[in-house]
This record gives sequence, C-alpha cells and structure tokens, in this order.
Amino acid sequence: MASPCELLLEGKGEAALRRGAAAAIAEVRRIESKFSRYLPHSVVSRINAAAGGQALDVDAETASLLDFAASLWESSEGLFDATSGVLRRAWDFGARRLPQPGQIESLLPLVGWRQVEWNGTRIRLPQPGMQLDFGGFGKEYAADRAAGVLLEHGVAHALVNLGGDIHVLGPHGAPGLAGQPWQVAIERPRPGVSGPLATLAIERGGVATSGDYERFFELDGKRYCHILDPRTGWPVCEWQSISVVAANTTAAGALSTIAMLKGAQAVDWLTAQGASWLAVRADGELLRHPPLAGGQ
Amino acid sequence: MKLILLIATAGALLAGCAGFGQVEPWEKGNLAKPSMRFDADPLDARFTQHVYTSKEAASGGAAVGGGGCGCN
Amino acid sequence: MAATERIGGVFAATLLLPGLAAVSTVHAEEPPDQAEIALKYGYYRDWQPGLDRVKVQSPQLYLLTPFAGQWSLEAATVSDSVSGATPRMHTTRSGATPAMSDHRSATDVKVTRYFHRGSITLGGGYSGENDYVSHSQNVEGRWSTEDNNRTWIAGYGHSGDVIDNTGSGGSVENQHRQTRELMVGVTQAATANDVVQAFFTRSMGRGYFSDPYKDFDQRPDSRRASITLLRWNHHLEKYDATVRSSWRYYQDSFGIRSHTLAAEWVQPVGVWTITPGLRYYMQSAASFYYDPVTDAQGVPSSLLTRRYASNLEGYYSPDQRLSAFGAVTASIKVAYAFSEASSVDLKVEQYRQSSGLRFGGGSPYLDPFRASFVQFGVSHKF
Repeated sequence: MASPCELLLEGKGEAALRRGAAAAIAEVRRIESKFSRYLPHSVVSRINAAAGGQALDVDAETASLLDFAASLWESSEGLFDATSGVLRRAWDFGARRLPQPGQIESLLPLVGWRQVEWNGTRIRLPQPGMQLDFGGFGKEYAADRAAGVLLEHGVAHALVNLGGDIHVLGPHGAPGLAGQPWQVAIERPRPGVSGPLATLAIERGGVATSGDYERFFELDGKRYCHILDPRTGWPVCEWQSISVVAANTTAAGALSTIAMLKGAQAVDWLTAQGASWLAVRADGELLRHPPLAGGQ
Repeated sequence: MKLILLIATAGALLAGCAGFGQVEPWEKGNLAKPSMRFDADPLDARFTQHVYTSKEAASGGAAVGGGGCGCN
Repeated sequence: MAATERIGGVFAATLLLPGLAAVSTVHAEEPPDQAEIALKYGYYRDWQPGLDRVKVQSPQLYLLTPFAGQWSLEAATVSDSVSGATPRMHTTRSGATPAMSDHRSATDVKVTRYFHRGSITLGGGYSGENDYVSHSQNVEGRWSTEDNNRTWIAGYGHSGDVIDNTGSGGSVENQHRQTRELMVGVTQAATANDVVQAFFTRSMGRGYFSDPYKDFDQRPDSRRASITLLRWNHHLEKYDATVRSSWRYYQDSFGIRSHTLAAEWVQPVGVWTITPGLRYYMQSAASFYYDPVTDAQGVPSSLLTRRYASNLEGYYSPDQRLSAFGAVTASIKVAYAFSEASSVDLKVEQYRQSSGLRFGGGSPYLDPFRASFVQFGVSHKF
C-alpha cells in the first residue's frame, strides 16, 4: 500500500490483541498481493496480461469482487468503471501536463465495463491493452476484511486506518475513554487553515473520503484532478472533497468515489442511496447530511 | 380514554418533529453516557421502590415480576 | 429507515462480499464489558406525630457479570431489619401499640442471553419475612431496530405469595395470593441528546389482599391494575448535565388512581456527580376506604369509628395507605469516582406525605407522615 496504514486496538489482554493485530495486518497484505495491479503475480495483473487472449478462471473471492464492480457500474450508471484505469496514461500529474492531442481518443475504446466478458466464473478482457483495476474499492475492502479478522480474534475496540479509509470496530476501550466513540478527523481539502475540516464521533462503521487534492495540478487557474470520467477521459472537479459514513468502509469508499464522478448530482444521489455525508463544493461551501443538531 | 388520547397526541407531535428518531451512529456520543441510561443505579432504584411500595398504594411500572411485598 | 441500509443500493451490494456482513451491522445489545460488584447500606426511618418511629436498616449486595461470551448474570440480595411500631386503625392513638421487630430477606437473580438484535432475560426471586413469603419468576425480551434507535420490550412476570402470621400469635393462617403482570414498552433515541421511554403494564392479582394486622379491614380478593410510565432523559450540552424526568399513572380495581411525577438533574463536576431530585406523588382513596368518625366536637374518635366499622358490609378498610393523599420527596445524591472502575455515593431523601399535599384535597383527619432515608454505597468494576 502506498499510503500510511495503522491499526489502533484497545482493551485487555495485550497478547491476544497483538495476535489479532498480526492476523489483521497479514490479511491486508494478502489482499494487496492478490489484487494490486502493481504486482506482476496478482490476480488482477494476470487478468490484464491475458487481455485480448484467453478467458481465465477466478476464485470465489475474485468473483465476488468482480460482481461488486459490476453492480457499482450499474448503480452509478456507468460512471464507476473498473476498466477506466488506462486513462491514467494520458494524465501525468507529476509533470503537470495536459494529455497529448488524440491521446484520450486513442484510449477511450479500451474503456468500458460493458465490453468485459464476465460470466460469473471466467473473465476475459476482449482487447489487448484493456486493464482492470480494483483501486476504487480495494483498500476499503481490505479495511473491512481487517476489521473482520479483528472481530474473529475477539477484539471489540479498534480503528483500522488504511490511508484514510477507516473502519471503526466498537467504541474506545482504554480506561478513561471506555464507551466513548472514536474522534475521526476529516482533512481539509485546501491548505492554509489549520485543523481538521470536521471531527466525527464514530462508534462503529466505515468512513472514506474522495478528494480532488490527492493527485492534481493546476494550470491557468484550472484544477485537474485524478477523478476521471470514464466516458470522456477528463477530470470531474465539482467537489473539493466528499466524505461518506456508512456501516462498512467498502460502501463508504464506493459511495464517495461515485459521488465525486456524479458532479452536480452528487448529493442528491448520495441522499437517495440513504448515505450520510459531508462535502466541500468547488467554491468552498461545506454541506452535510443529515444536518447537525444544534451547534457543531 | 382521555389519557390514551393525550399519549397518542404527544406521540404524534413528537414523531412529527424534524429528525425525530433518526440518530446517526456518529451522533450517539451523548446517548452513551451513563447518566443517560434508565437503569443507572440498580440498588438505589430497588431501595427507593421498596420504600414507596410500602407507603403508597401504587407500585411497579418499570419492570415485571419483582416479587411481592409483605406490606398489604 | 436508517442511513446506508436501503436495499438495492451500494451498501446492499457490499454485503455480498465475503466477510463483510459480519462487520457491517451494529449489535443492538451487548453483554457488559466488565463485571461489577456493588454494596449499598440503606437506612430508613419514619415518624408521625405522637407515634414511635419505624427504623429499617438495609444492607444490599449486587453483582453483574458477563459470561460465556453472549450471556450475563445479575444478582441482588437484601437483608432488611425493621424495628418500631406500625400504626393501627387510621393514625389515632389507640393505646399501647405493640413494638414490632421484623427481618426481611430477599434475593433475585437474572440471566440474560444476548442476540444480534436483542436479548432475553429469565429471572427468579425470593422474599421472606416471618409472616410472608413470596416466590417470583419473570421473562423479558428486548428487540431493536437496525439503526438501534428503537427498542421494543415485552415482559411477563408471576409471583406467588403466602401470608401467615400464626407464628407471632396472629390469626391469619396460610393465605395465598397470585399476581401476574404483562408489560410492553418501547425505548426511542429521539435526538442526539434525548431518549424517551414508554411502558404499559397490566397487573392481575388474586387472593389475599387484606392487612393481617388490622381489625375492621375487608378487601376484595382480586386486584387489577394498569400502569402507564413515560420517561425522558435529556442531555444539556451547555452544562454537560442530564435532566431525567418521569410520569407514572396508576389505576386499579380498588378505585385508586395515582400520579407520580419525578425529575432529577445529574450534574458532573470533575470526578464528582451531584444529583438533586424532586418527586411528587398523589393518589385518590380506594373505593372502600372509610374516614374516621368524629364526635360531637368534630374530633375523630376511635370508639365511634370502630362502632361504625363493625356495621359495614362488603369491602372496607381504614388503612392510611389506601386513603387520598399527596407526597413530596426531595433528594440529593453525591457520587465520587475514585477511578473509571470504582465509585462511592451518598443519597439523602426527605419524604412528606399528607392529605393536604394532594391537589383537590385528601382524606380528612389523617396525620401527616414523614420519613427520611439515606443510602451509602460503593461500586467496583473489574
């Protein structure tokens, strides 16, 4: 994982907690090595290597994740597309350069979950150069799985934080704070003001944030971020950040990613999904649902 | 009968309040405080309930089957 | 419908992923994290003008412990020592009232099994005095909605009592009484700072309801009661305090109708907690309650009253507890927390009961009644 990850566990019996933590970390590493497109022997890399060639059999866990990717593609009306990763080649956020003329047009035919041949057991990417990646929900899935492992080890008070994708498993367990929810700070999408954007008191569930500030560059006063619309290949930057609180991290992450892609319709869509969210619009206005009772 | 009507009206008014009963998991910090529980000090409740049951005609209401009192 | 739980959406899709359902739902109730043991010593005394006091000393022991993962056990035992005199007919002085010394011992045990969305509790109890023994059993179930904002409760209880004072020279021998109770209720988290509770109980008793120590006291052999209880806890962010209030309405087939209004202000001050409280109670008289009879000067006369009572038919009772009166309790509790796990507390209450305290007036010619009780307790979690 490229971003810092931490597990916070509280409770009695240090030896048991350490065993739980070790097992949870092992589970995160297992998922990373199995699904990371950066590792050549991962399932995803092997599927991508076979693009344009043979169909591959996949195991039950991969099948579930592929079904999940399909359902997100439907729920988002095509905006969330696990094959849109190839568009990254057109955008060099490090060099702060717009795509070459014709570059996006040449990549767009390789994008489209509609083309993927997935029958529930065998998967095939029909064109060479097509790429699948689980980046839109992989880290969040790992956070939930890690929490599940901790739960199996009897841990009742923990916070899993994989680079900002958070799963809270029960309230605090340390003396002095027992029973109190964890304080989860939401980062400000723009520098300049110190302190978090908001602090949420969470006892259980998942929190994930999508923002236009993770990878971006600004050119001629316009911001270009890494949230790319799979239909056009261009960034959608109507929101500075969207944070979602859900019963698990995978849902929180998927909802926040799709919301960013929905642009102006983000908050209506999130509310229709029954989600609780906190969002900063491009102009800096902070919105949240449901509204806070009384003061902050 | 009047009583049932009163409770029903109160219930309907409360339910109509914006956001009634829709407390999100991250808003439950205050509700988790010990002072917000209904059964905070069981021995205190037992002692005072026994005193009142022996001096007043009314008894019960919060739990079932607490056993009788010899004070008829 | 709570957030993120709409069927057919993104959240529902995540539940199909391996292992996610187990970490995605909130448990309604859980066994307590820690075991707890508490000791409380209660002291009670009451007095009426011209009569000796009744004094009660009441040590209590309490234990709560989780076990076997999804279970918990709760047990309490109390051992009262009662001394002093009890009033005879009404409250008029009737010559020598025998001093009474009594001992009461009561124990109750509850076992709870916790499930994903609720819990079930089975309980049993025993209470014994030298003229009275009671055995009770009860079962209670709780079920919560997915968002844990509403919990439904239903309970059933039964108790069987035996009243017999032949051991101390009385004439009441082996009288029985059975009581069944049914309760339904709901607890609702209303806002981030409010919880409300509504309970409705129906109680049905059959058997011996008379007072074994009273002459001219004849009560029905059944008693049916309906009780409505509303409670509201409100947290005040500004003071970090909680206001607890309740109202109970009781009515039964003896003709008694009563209201109980109570409120407390729980104020933390560092590691201390100060809780002042106020309670107001009022009841109407039982339909078969009879007032004292007065003589020509308008003074209640025990002789005239006895003569009157001896000619009564049907049901009749002079018991002050069945008269119309009001009562006020003022209380203050101070608690000190040594640590997260241990605390000590002291509660002092003053109680005053009189017919004048009832709105609309109460039964005449009854002396006011006062009591004060103190409780001192320590509690430890481990």
